Amino acid sequence: MPETDETAHPSEAEKRQQSARPREGAPYWPWFPSALALAGIILFVFVTHGPPASSSGFVSTMNGLIGVVAPDYVADKAHYTIIPGVGSWLMAFVVGMAAGGFLAGRISRSRPYDVPPIWTRRIGASRTKRYLATFVGGFLILFSARLAGGCTLGLFMSGSIQLAVSGLYFGVIIFAVAMLTARIVYANARGGSS
Amino acid sequence: MTGVVLGLIAGIAFGYVITRVGATNPEKMARAHLMMEPAIPQFMLTAVAAAAIGLTGLVAVGRADLSPLPTSLVATGLAAVIFGVGWGLTGYCPGTTWAAVGEGRMDAVFALLGGLVGTAVFAHFHEAIIPVLYGPTNVGKITLMDALGDSRIAATVALVTVFGLGVWAIGKLWTRSYDA
Repeated sequence: MPETDETAHPSEAEKRQQSARPREGAPYWPWFPSALALAGIILFVFVTHGPPASSSGFVSTMNGLIGVVAPDYVADKAHYTIIPGVGSWLMAFVVGMAAGGFLAGRISRSRPYDVPPIWTRRIGASRTKRYLATFVGGFLILFSARLAGGCTLGLFMSGSIQLAVSGLYFGVIIFAVAMLTARIVYANARGGSS
Repeated sequence: MTGVVLGLIAGIAFGYVITRVGATNPEKMARAHLMMEPAIPQFMLTAVAAAAIGLTGLVAVGRADLSPLPTSLVATGLAAVIFGVGWGLTGYCPGTTWAAVGEGRMDAVFALLGGLVGTAVFAHFHEAIIPVLYGPTNVGKITLMDALGDSRIAATVALVTVFGLGVWAIGKLWTRSYDA
């Protein structure tokens, strides 16, 4: 497969191939066996730890970072005392996820885009704008996950697997609102691509 | 120490699978949200359904540690709305940002930094927010079993049926009709 230039206008077939494959990398795994593999990993976590969670790892990390300069502050704040800190399973899990992503990227030889092509086509190629948007979005997903007590994994997936109403309630709304938001974000920001 | 090793093993495996299936790619996530590509939502729902079946088995043999979160009608619902805006805007959720940073995605680095700041801001106001938004409408750790005669098997069958129909419907409805 020839190297595709981000600024070129790819044909429809190329666009499809781009979205289905990491750039210059191995094809993505099919979803069904991958889902069974993920379910196996989740069950391993339930047996060896408890319900898996990701957003709590952010709390453990911030606990460690802020604790360096203001140990009294973190010792005094409820949110940092409820969630285990540095050296916990929660923090090891998110650090492990970064390592897993690194390994997967190297083994599949993916060279990921810093700005997704669909964002470039609809909103523009500005890295600054994309990074500002992901910073704001990152703020929103973590602020809200900490309010709900969990995220896509720790509340929707872990909760639904345990048959909890909280996970299903959270899951229905996040999918609906994300779909609506994506329609607005990617709608015609540059007068359309056609 | 055991916790750290187990967490690392689980994290590496989890991060590896979600990266190889494409869930860390915000392009694929955007196309999923725009109903253009069914794979990622089908992957998520199938993983939940399969793990729910497995967990019911583990509970039956007394091997799983359960702790479902409570439902606060206002806090859980409002949080889900804010979360949906951030997820739809970026194509990242908290877990995928870590794997995507490892994969080398620069926009995920900023999502992770924003997430750390969002965490710190929430933690700072936790004492003020939780009693107002979470407490009053907290209906407790309710589960599907409460509506199905306390039967874990019946509740699991109900969940797997609904998620299975969801996977089927997504396969039918998520087409390339809305091209971007």
